[in-house]
Amino acid sequence: MFADMIESVAKILFIFTVNLGFFAPILGWVERKQSALMQDRIGANRADVGGFTIIGLFHPISDAIKVIMKEDFIPAGAEKLLHTLAPAISLIPAIITFAVVPFGGQYELFGHHVNLVIADLDVGILYVFAFSGLATYGVVLAGWASRNNWSLIGGLRASAQMLSYEVAMGLTVIGVMMVYGTLKLTEIGAMQESLFHWGVFLQPLGFILFFTCAVAENKRAPFDMPEAESELVAGYFTEYSSFKFVMFWMGEFLEIVTIAGLVTTLFFGAWHIPFVSDSALVSFFHFAGPNGAAVLAMLVNITTFFVKVCFFIWLQMTIRWTLPRFRYDQVMKLCWKMILPLSLVNILITGLVLLNG
Amino acid sequence: MDKKTDFDQTKLEEMVGVPLDRLKPKRVHRNPELTLWEKIYVPEVVRGLGITTRHFVSNMIGFVAPPSGKKRSIFTVYYPEEKVELPPAYRGRPVLVAKADGTEKCVACGLCEKICPAKAITIEALENAMGERYPYKYTLDGSRCVYCGYCEEVCPKEAIVMSAEYEGLAERDRRQMIYSKEQLLRSEESVKGRLEYIRRIYAKWNY
Repeated sequence: MFADMIESVAKILFIFTVNLGFFAPILGWVERKQSALMQDRIGANRADVGGFTIIGLFHPISDAIKVIMKEDFIPAGAEKLLHTLAPAISLIPAIITFAVVPFGGQYELFGHHVNLVIADLDVGILYVFAFSGLATYGVVLAGWASRNNWSLIGGLRASAQMLSYEVAMGLTVIGVMMVYGTLKLTEIGAMQESLFHWGVFLQPLGFILFFTCAVAENKRAPFDMPEAESELVAGYFTEYSSFKFVMFWMGEFLEIVTIAGLVTTLFFGAWHIPFVSDSALVSFFHFAGPNGAAVLAMLVNITTFFVKVCFFIWLQMTIRWTLPRFRYDQVMKLCWKMILPLSLVNILITGLVLLNG
Repeated sequence: MDKKTDFDQTKLEEMVGVPLDRLKPKRVHRNPELTLWEKIYVPEVVRGLGITTRHFVSNMIGFVAPPSGKKRSIFTVYYPEEKVELPPAYRGRPVLVAKADGTEKCVACGLCEKICPAKAITIEALENAMGERYPYKYTLDGSRCVYCGYCEEVCPKEAIVMSAEYEGLAERDRRQMIYSKEQLLRSEESVKGRLEYIRRIYAKWNY
């Protein structure tokens, strides 16, 4: 019992540190620097502490200081309670969605069974959908409570877009569920030990569709209709300043991490190095004793997982800075006329192959 | 730009400006029919990602290990640390050209004072022992100057030219922007590029 608690607290602290302490601040810097390199620029490098700039790594700190110092502005006529609540409603789902994403295998450590996932739910994928659906509320409430036409239109667009793409996203994952026969993300991860069992090889169409839907669900370019700065000022967070503004941004960045984690888990072998199983890792590290071997294998798992996550974060950033924004009708057309039928076809083909195979 | 310049009705041999065939607008397909390959959309997206990734990777390599001697692909100039090399056509602070002995070329004819649209130039002339005119005082009000370059164009002695100096043109106090002759004197060597340039561009006027 006590060991369970320690294990849970350690895992939660670890994920919180990685997500909120590392990814959330650093991704702002990554986004600026990566877009700069992609566009043949240099990017942020001017914030210096004692003459050292370290390729602009002080910018997240200076941004944080700037943001905290700013006035927390609530426009006149805004719905105060909802206006204050909305950023939290959009940030909290982004934080807790990662709970079901496994970042390592299952090991015996000091006679205690350690499962490297915060919450090993039987309905893992549904939990993800449930909370990404909740994030819609934050956006819509932010748009509505601001009492600003731009915000309202942004919120409306966000609601339509996110609801549409949630339908499509749910259907794209059904193929994966059929192949692996489970909703548990840890089991899906564990089944992808061999490279040929990776989801991307079993469900190539499903991967493309799911990734598209996930990017659209996160409201980032080319699907950033709700913020569309050339049309709607800043969309649903036009009237937000100070830390509430940052909460929206942190929510967006954490969703990037979550999407990367989900794509890794569902399609890219989760925590596995290709052709290296967990038991092979433990026997490889047998020199460190049973407990030491487990710890080392865990570290290798976690490193592999987060390397893959970093790759998909990079991919999402590249997509964001490569593709131009869709028109609103194109977004809807892509969802209802292309992705939805294609995902149905994907389910059909998967079913036929499973029946015959 | 297809016309040749003929200010004195005699056709010049050399063409001025961009050649006509290069100016001709290319045919642009505004609404092309997409092929099936493009309609699938994914391959074209991947191609686009490939282009940006190529830039990213090459810049990343240059970022980690800067290539020595090779032409750099990032053209951002860190201004205070790095300076731009300006072309000779750039019109910076107007300066007086000095002769080899350090005195000004200016003969105080007053043409620049006359033509200056902003009335930035004031000359007080005197005669020296040889009986030659020289500017006893040559004052250029930097707060009035519009950097049009008329003074340089009108000057018969190549005595005032627009230099490439673009720093220190603004002051907090306007009184400090009134430059005297001594402040404006530059050696002929330092404005050589500009002198050659104005000889080239104003030659057709045949003064």
